[in-house]
Amino acid sequence: MPDITLTVDGVAVTVPAGTNIVDAARMVNTSIPVFCYHPRLKPAGMCRMCLVQVGTPRIDPATRQVVLDEGGRPVIAMMPKLQTGCTTPVSEGMVVKTVSDEVKSAQRGVLEFLLTSHPLDCPVCDKGGECPLQNLTMGWGPGSSRFEYNDKVHFEKPVALGDLIYLDRERCILCARCVRFQDEVADDQVLGFDNRGRNWMIISKSDPPFDSKFSGNTTDICPVGALTSSDFRFKARAWELQSKPAVCTLCPVGCNISLDMRHDKLMRVMPRENAAVNDIWICDKGRFGHRFIESGERLTTPLVRRGGRLEPASWAEATRLVAEKLAAIQSRAGGAAIGGLASPRLSNEDLYAFQKLFREQLGSGNLDHTIGAPGETAADDLGATLGVGAGTNLMQLGKGAAVLVLGADPEEEAPLYMLRLRGIAQRGGALVVAGLRPTKLERSATSRLRYRAGGELMFVRGLLKAAYEATGTTRLAVRNSGLEELRAMLNKLSVADAAAACGVSEADLRATAKTFLDADHGVIVYGSEARSAGPALAQDLAALAMLAGKAGRANSGLLALLPGGNSRGALDMGLRPDARPGYAATPSRSMGAREMWAAGAGRLRALWVAGLDPAASLPAARAAIDAAEFVVVQDMFLTATAQLADVVLPAASVAEREGSYTNAERRVQRSRQAAHPLGESRPDWQIVQGVGQALAEMAIAGVWNTKDANAKGAKGANLKDANAKGAKGAKGGSAVAVADAPGWDYLTAGELAAEIAERVPGYAGITYAALSATGSGGQWGRQVNEAIFYDGTSYENTEGVGIQCPSLAEATRAVFSLAPRPAPATVATAERPLLLLAQPLAYDGDPLLRGGKLAAHVPAAYVALSQEDAARQGIRAGDEVRLVSAVGEVRLPARVVADLPQGVVVVPANLSDADLAAVQTGPRTYVMVMM
Amino acid sequence: MLGELFKGMRTTLRYIFRQPVTVQYPEVKRPVRERFRGRHELKRFANGQERCIGCSLCAAACPADAILVVPAENDPASPRSPGERYAATYEINMLRCIFCGYCEDACPTNAIVLEHQYELSFYDRKAAIYTQDMLLVPKDKGHGEIPPLLQQMNRRPSPPAQIDL
Repeated sequence: MPDITLTVDGVAVTVPAGTNIVDAARMVNTSIPVFCYHPRLKPAGMCRMCLVQVGTPRIDPATRQVVLDEGGRPVIAMMPKLQTGCTTPVSEGMVVKTVSDEVKSAQRGVLEFLLTSHPLDCPVCDKGGECPLQNLTMGWGPGSSRFEYNDKVHFEKPVALGDLIYLDRERCILCARCVRFQDEVADDQVLGFDNRGRNWMIISKSDPPFDSKFSGNTTDICPVGALTSSDFRFKARAWELQSKPAVCTLCPVGCNISLDMRHDKLMRVMPRENAAVNDIWICDKGRFGHRFIESGERLTTPLVRRGGRLEPASWAEATRLVAEKLAAIQSRAGGAAIGGLASPRLSNEDLYAFQKLFREQLGSGNLDHTIGAPGETAADDLGATLGVGAGTNLMQLGKGAAVLVLGADPEEEAPLYMLRLRGIAQRGGALVVAGLRPTKLERSATSRLRYRAGGELMFVRGLLKAAYEATGTTRLAVRNSGLEELRAMLNKLSVADAAAACGVSEADLRATAKTFLDADHGVIVYGSEARSAGPALAQDLAALAMLAGKAGRANSGLLALLPGGNSRGALDMGLRPDARPGYAATPSRSMGAREMWAAGAGRLRALWVAGLDPAASLPAARAAIDAAEFVVVQDMFLTATAQLADVVLPAASVAEREGSYTNAERRVQRSRQAAHPLGESRPDWQIVQGVGQALAEMAIAGVWNTKDANAKGAKGANLKDANAKGAKGAKGGSAVAVADAPGWDYLTAGELAAEIAERVPGYAGITYAALSATGSGGQWGRQVNEAIFYDGTSYENTEGVGIQCPSLAEATRAVFSLAPRPAPATVATAERPLLLLAQPLAYDGDPLLRGGKLAAHVPAAYVALSQEDAARQGIRAGDEVRLVSAVGEVRLPARVVADLPQGVVVVPANLSDADLAAVQTGPRTYVMVMM
Repeated sequence: MLGELFKGMRTTLRYIFRQPVTVQYPEVKRPVRERFRGRHELKRFANGQERCIGCSLCAAACPADAILVVPAENDPASPRSPGERYAATYEINMLRCIFCGYCEDACPTNAIVLEHQYELSFYDRKAAIYTQDMLLVPKDKGHGEIPPLLQQMNRRPSPPAQIDL
């Protein structure tokens, strides 16, 4: 865009065409006060606070030339009336006056007018202290009011817009920031205006009221205290809070948040600006879902089972017991008899320490970060190996970018990604949303495609074929193998066949492939629905990205939405049976969670579960835990698994410890400690370190004779390998793990992070010091006085924006396979014709949501049926139906959904009242539905 | 030598017959000035409701950081103060307080007033923290001056309005 030069209060400034006067003035540090304008929203010109004098060079109508005065300067024709700065775009030679008497009088008048209906109850208002209306009244307003309290409009105090957001109508200045946020940014058009004149007010139009996952953001951008959150209602004054920078671990986005603390208690959660991750928004799950930190049910002291009951014990006792038992089992049965599960919510440091203890000290590769439920999908490597490259910033993507969202529901799986992807489409990028069923993101898409149930693989292969026909292998830049197999597969396929098989028209397939090929940057986002189709689909997506040349560079690549806040970190840290940190495959596969449950008592003798609760939903896990000789659980709560454990160790919550977390784009971000650990609880890595130290001491004292690993055959090779490559003093050989016992002498999480940076490929240079760099401030750069208008005490990011790891395609010399994998075998049968999809929900049965405001938003379990399927079986909404699969059945109330394709039934995942594990045979299960 | 002694005794003798400037504290207590700033009191409205709305402005104004306020939301059925908010905890650390009266100035409802009680001594530090129960006046007295905003209400009997603070 051409640049335009204008003069603001005598200072010349050059800005891109299309910029409005308010933004142009900000560039030269001139503050034009605003209420309704917000840089992330389209200007509306509602509050009239930004009135300025504007003049443009006079044009001679005859010659169309600028009229010049005697001095050769253009004659400026001032507009007869004041103009709103936010809605007036700049033009060449424009002159803006922001401080003349006329402007001052207008500003004073507007403020007085706004205050005529404002109750001035600042002392009790939650916004008091961070309120733009307060700030602007002090800066630009009249000194005193000519209105008496009685003359003001009065409404009944708060009305609940939803159960999370309260509206105080007399405080509202009707700037419509909230309405515009919901319409433009969040795409939940649930707010609107009602009535007119003095009774003009904001209302919620939806049922349930204010049904949006982003509703909390309206309280941040509200320039007065009209919208306040029920979660922070009258908890503290803004100036009493201490903002502690943290990272949200509730989903794979990794939003930057501030934990606003007072007296070591969490008062509220606020977004922290990070242009590359969450901009200035967070979802309601992040904002209202952190109340678990101060739950009364938290564990405060270690528990040890004595005489069948769990009783409080000291850390020394519990740690010693764990070390002794693990050592004893290790000496008797070898490391292969010990299993470890760690939650994908733990920090990278915890996960690294956990796998280090297992691999290097206990000689066990039996690690996993899932609970081994039948619905779980295979570990996703492609999000890292061919993930979006270093330097990716979704906020920069717009025109010239193509995003293919396949089988994902970002609104539920990673809510902030919905805003980010929608933003790309709004900035002119292509957003293709392909899926089985409707999602909210579809509404923002430039093209939306629906393949039929089970047709996703052919859909992707159709795209692959179309791309191959268009450009062949000319764009293949990544080191690859298996091209011949891919060619063989593609030669057998025609786009028309693929189109027929997947139910998307050939033209659409070709157009989508062309969009993706033509774009400068291409991102493929795939979620739970796509992952449930098996690794063949992901492999074909990887081939598509490689063929299109959209892999291994910034802003291009694959982006997998995985469950859990730090699943990517868990995979990077090697919390899996088949690979060590950095996706280094182990020569033999050890037991993952699923194998552990199937292994039986002989093979799984000891189990250490950190932050997961397999026993709650999996009977097989419960049986295996019951049968195991020794079970350690480290968790915040006394979960079902913890109740079966021999030793329970209390873990500190995310707010009570430092740690770094890796998000879906592989951006590593650091979260700081905001509160003291509750009771005697400790950060997970410290717990692991305590046991590691005890084991090392036992080994040195000669109490623990490690079982010779080679005696255990294949599993032993694993141990040997770990010793040879992993440990600090790598002596190699099968001697004993003890010989290489790692030094457990980390004083801080930062020291562990430094070791990760040293040892884990891709994490080089990611130390705590490097993570603290803030880089550029955001979209606009931050001006000194910005908070006065745009508000939010916690927006500014001063504690680090994180570092994105390069994808393995960039960072290593690895070779990536193009070869297609065989399609999964499960297909519908006449007996069981319906495909059961477990739909992840943002507000699911996650125990961490208990006790918070969001608990009421967790739905009761149901099964969603298409109209056709329901009609065929005579099922009406609300009927209780039986869902029968090859392995079991579950009874659920039915919902009949208009937009669901035939042949698919959807059940929300992770709800405590739907025992999906009982029916699922794998990520994709075919079922029949009966009354 | 003897002369000086006599001179001194004469002065003593003279003062014996005058009214003494000292008072027999604690039996006798000297009255304080009208604007003396002593121990704080939290006032009430005539209907017995607390004036304090838990706004924390006193704590913000306090140069000695002596005041702790933890606010909470009123139960609409039985509000402790007018409006939506009240102070669930109100504590003043008398060892920290410098009796400057800024809290009084900051208070939007004239709830906190430095009264004339000056006997503040404690045997331990814990006892120096005056809690809300100790600071609040009994329900039936000490209603104090009506805050300016509410005085407006009395001046204009115009449209019916509720008092929202």
